[in-house]
Amino acid sequence: MSASLAPECNDAKERYDSCFLKWYSEKYLRGKGTTDECAGLFKEYKQCLTTALKDRGIDKMLEEAREDHKENDTLNMRRK
Amino acid sequence: MKVFSNEETFDYSWEEVSTANWRKYCPWNDKSTHVIAVDTLSRQVDPQSGILRTERLITCKQSAPKWLSAILGGSDTSHVFETSYVDPESKKVTMVSSNLTYSNILSVKESVVYQPLSATQTQFVQDAKITALCGGWHKVKNAVEEASVTRFRENAQKGKEGFEAVLEMSRRVFGEEKQKLNGIEREKMVL
Repeated sequence: MSASLAPECNDAKERYDSCFLKWYSEKYLRGKGTTDECAGLFKEYKQCLTTALKDRGIDKMLEEAREDHKENDTLNMRRK
Repeated sequence: MKVFSNEETFDYSWEEVSTANWRKYCPWNDKSTHVIAVDTLSRQVDPQSGILRTERLITCKQSAPKWLSAILGGSDTSHVFETSYVDPESKKVTMVSSNLTYSNILSVKESVVYQPLSATQTQFVQDAKITALCGGWHKVKNAVEEASVTRFRENAQKGKEGFEAVLEMSRRVFGEEKQKLNGIEREKMVL
């Protein structure tokens, strides 16, 4: 799996990524994946990452980009 | 504005491609070495549509030509923000991304779609719109856009080669795991 931009988050990221990939291929793609089983691991990884993004000043850039990407949601989040 | 478009076919099922896509930039991919980190920022399944929405931050090693990085500024890493949508029902992966770094000078908006062509083939369609925003000289803008498109094309070629390697390894590892499981099943049956 790929690394995190913050080396101190690599372990938490690795644990989460493995969990996600297993869930994605074995459950989600087979129509059995509505609940996120990896939420706990994601929380740990996210906690580490949030601090790293703030320290590097990337959080501000992300806010702007998120705004710009909102129109993509309307295009791609098809409702049934 | 310059447009870069590219289409590829992978001889793997959509399920394999969409799974391997999450680890496109792992060590098995020794071609796309300009990508040094991929972080997941948010992820959820939309309860209404069943679509998996993911936000990721991609960190790249700066590989712009020297004259261009002089214009862009001296940072050695750059960041890309990506939002992706997986629709398992219609079997479609859509990824849209834009540059975070230098966004006041250069706008790079990319979209990638993976869809099945058949049970064993998947189509990859890539589009990028590159616009230099620096005011003033048309010639400079044009050169900045040209250089960016060239780099994009190079990375796209490397990306395809690298992803092929990841797909091959994924299939091999998955096959070995399956064999192991089958072996265990067989042993159980014997016992």
